[in-house]
Amino acid sequence: MKVPFSPPTLKIGSSKNQLCHPAKEKDMVKIDLPKERLPDWKEAMLKKMAEVLDKYRSVRLFLDICVKCGACADKCQFFLGTGDPKNMPVARADLLRKVYKRYFTLGGKIWGRANESEELNEAVLQEWFTYFYQCSECRRCSVFCPYGIDTAEITMAAREIMAAAGIATKYVTEVVAKVYDTGNNLGIWAPAWKDNCAFLEEDLKDTEGLEVKFPVDVVGADVLLVPPSADNFVNTDTMIGYAKMFHAAGISWTTSTYCNEGGNFGLFLNYANLKKINNRILEAARQLKVKKVYWGE
Amino acid sequence: MATKFLFIYLPYISAGIFTLGVLYRFWRWARTPVPLRIVTTPAPRTTVRVILRMVGDVLWFPSLFKGDKFLWLAAFFFHGCLWLVVLRHLRFFFYPVPEWVVAMQPLGLYAGYLIPFPLAFLLARRLVMERNLYISILGDFFALFLIMAVAISGILLEVFFRAYVVDVKALILGLIHFQPVVPEMSWLFALHFLLIMVLMVYFPLGKLMHAGGLFFSSTRNQRANWEQRFVNPWDFPVGYNPQNLFPPEKYRPAPAESREGKKE
Repeated sequence: MKVPFSPPTLKIGSSKNQLCHPAKEKDMVKIDLPKERLPDWKEAMLKKMAEVLDKYRSVRLFLDICVKCGACADKCQFFLGTGDPKNMPVARADLLRKVYKRYFTLGGKIWGRANESEELNEAVLQEWFTYFYQCSECRRCSVFCPYGIDTAEITMAAREIMAAAGIATKYVTEVVAKVYDTGNNLGIWAPAWKDNCAFLEEDLKDTEGLEVKFPVDVVGADVLLVPPSADNFVNTDTMIGYAKMFHAAGISWTTSTYCNEGGNFGLFLNYANLKKINNRILEAARQLKVKKVYWGE
Repeated sequence: MATKFLFIYLPYISAGIFTLGVLYRFWRWARTPVPLRIVTTPAPRTTVRVILRMVGDVLWFPSLFKGDKFLWLAAFFFHGCLWLVVLRHLRFFFYPVPEWVVAMQPLGLYAGYLIPFPLAFLLARRLVMERNLYISILGDFFALFLIMAVAISGILLEVFFRAYVVDVKALILGLIHFQPVVPEMSWLFALHFLLIMVLMVYFPLGKLMHAGGLFFSSTRNQRANWEQRFVNPWDFPVGYNPQNLFPPEKYRPAPAESREGKKE
């Protein structure tokens, strides 16, 4: 039976208690962020916000031109799932917009709350931490917005601003820190990576009788494969598939123990880490002197 | 004095605020760099297709059509009528009146009669639908009521309390040629005129800037030419943290002989 789609009725505050765990000091230090929330977090956040507004046209524009038509409202899966109105893309962006209006626009400075502007305070910060981490940056809202307003850009800006003041989540920071330690999100150390590859080689020989190699750290191969690290650990059929494909095509290839992760959690944190993690792919490619990088996630 | 202020000083002040305000907003957006390629899928691959996409976005709002059919209908109807009404008013700005402006007069007139209907729908939508009421702010209602007031005063001027068109034209041509005259006008015309001035002042301050802002929208005006490198103007080098357990200098890949890569 086909059930007609209907957006949920508003359940105000229904997901406000679904919080992420705060980041741990050991991870924050490794990824060049303040180890805990700064004592002058408000000033740090406003300083970062001014910087972000001057660096990203998208953020400034999207905060300025939203007409609140509501076309995005029933498109966000987080709103559809929770019914919490603050999970509507427009309302999520409003969390940043009201602070932007208060400190960076003439109208907000003059009219104050009548112009829906708000001081950056503890309560606002709490909402930011809650709702900007309930966005998966999927950009579905931007497909339906008549101006292409992309709430993922707003979410990324808000997370960058919070990170600058030492506010982030455990999940994201832990994964990013893990990449710098082991080269991948899952924390697979180099010996384990090599062992997994050797195991897959044997397994393939035993089950299918195929002599397919899973080369690791081979200097001078043609192709560096940067798979999602889970392919070597959980979804091993995918890894076997890559190897078979390269084997059949006769392409010399290798994985790297320095960089064996296609996913980049810097996207969920800040630009510096996003870039640093991507740089690892280039460094690995240079050190291995490969001609091409195949890179998926 | 009041009439002199309304018909002479205020038009210049509001036109100044409108022009400078809009230019300032454009300049502010234009000088902010675009660091990343964030074009929304399905993405155009050539400049011609980008232009076609933008023309579509400006004229018939295809994204909104995908998102919300009723809202699209009201928005399209409203913006279409608004264009026709604005074009119809061009007859006050030109002497002699261009042929095509004369030709579209009836069309503009009917558009003017109809414009309160989509406006009323947009207003009702904000008030009746709970999630739209939640996101609506004062500025949204202000803009709606302002345009509604302009439209209704305009319709009343056309139908019941007609202004003497020659005087209106003398007023506007006088303003354009910097030889303003203070006309004898009804209070209704004064109100219609005042509301337009308010709209012009409010335009660059609030969300009405969506009109020009669309052209700056990175998700819509970019190309998906992945072959070409996109350079971030404010890119910076990233260094390594001494606490990282696996910095690049520790990475020593084995030479080709020691491990077998398939190489023929």
